[in-house]
Amino acid sequence: MQQGTIDHVQEGLGTAAEGGIPDFAEIVRAHQGMIFSLAYHFLRDRGLAEEMAQEVFLELHRHLGSIESSAHLVFWLRKVASRKCIDQNRRRSFWPKFRLDEIPEPEAKTRETDTLLSGALGKLVASLPEKPRMVVVLRYQEDLDPAEISELLDMPVATVKSHLRRSLDILRDKLARTVGEIAL
Amino acid sequence: MSYLEEDLKAALRRVEAPPDFTARVLERLAAPEAPKRNWWAELALLLRPPRLQWVALSVIAGTVIPIAGIHEREQRRMEGEMAKQQLVYAVRLAGSKLHHVQKKVFEISQTDRHL
Repeated sequence: MQQGTIDHVQEGLGTAAEGGIPDFAEIVRAHQGMIFSLAYHFLRDRGLAEEMAQEVFLELHRHLGSIESSAHLVFWLRKVASRKCIDQNRRRSFWPKFRLDEIPEPEAKTRETDTLLSGALGKLVASLPEKPRMVVVLRYQEDLDPAEISELLDMPVATVKSHLRRSLDILRDKLARTVGEIAL
Repeated sequence: MSYLEEDLKAALRRVEAPPDFTARVLERLAAPEAPKRNWWAELALLLRPPRLQWVALSVIAGTVIPIAGIHEREQRRMEGEMAKQQLVYAVRLAGSKLHHVQKKVFEISQTDRHL
């Protein structure tokens, strides 16, 4: 995020906490990409990702009073988004079929610019178990180090590192097979 | 950083949220929130007069139907048991009669041989 936007959001936090919707809109605009991307890379479903990201911002609106700074805001958003994504994925695994009226409308069309490799890698990441998947998304989308991820996901740093190492091994192995299949 | 990690960074780069995302969030904020479900209140509602009748009926039906089913099954089992006992008795009776007839035939054949 650019410094100008951060300052603007910082200013907005004060008035948004008092219930000012325009400032809240500024906060949403500044962070929607991060939260939508986290949800999309984790769930691999644009409709669900949008729904999830909206839920995160609605929850933020209810907790604005407890947000102390821009850094705290980013931390809070990432933490809540991670938790919600994992919860949503568990619900989806438990109830794999949705009722028709529960399926969100596809608001955004899939971008065609994904390269073959990126697309394949994204799908492989989505096939990882929940926690390692979130660790990988936070590490490579948000460029967070293991200590930051451990704080966000409430897990020991050693566990984060082990998830990363094992996930990379799994991805390397699966990618080799996938690329082999594509090449054939 | 390995090639795989570079590729992961590229694959997991941030994507744009839908263009009307903020508007949708604000729309949802402005919409009246659905009242939260209070399970105790809903349970208490069931005990009010018009619903209480249905609850009582359901409880009675839920109790009587299984009991009737169990009674019916027990009745059939007892009838089956009785029929089985009668059959065993009839077979035993037939067996003893047969034995008696065999004995008589044997005695007559022995008498004929002596004559």
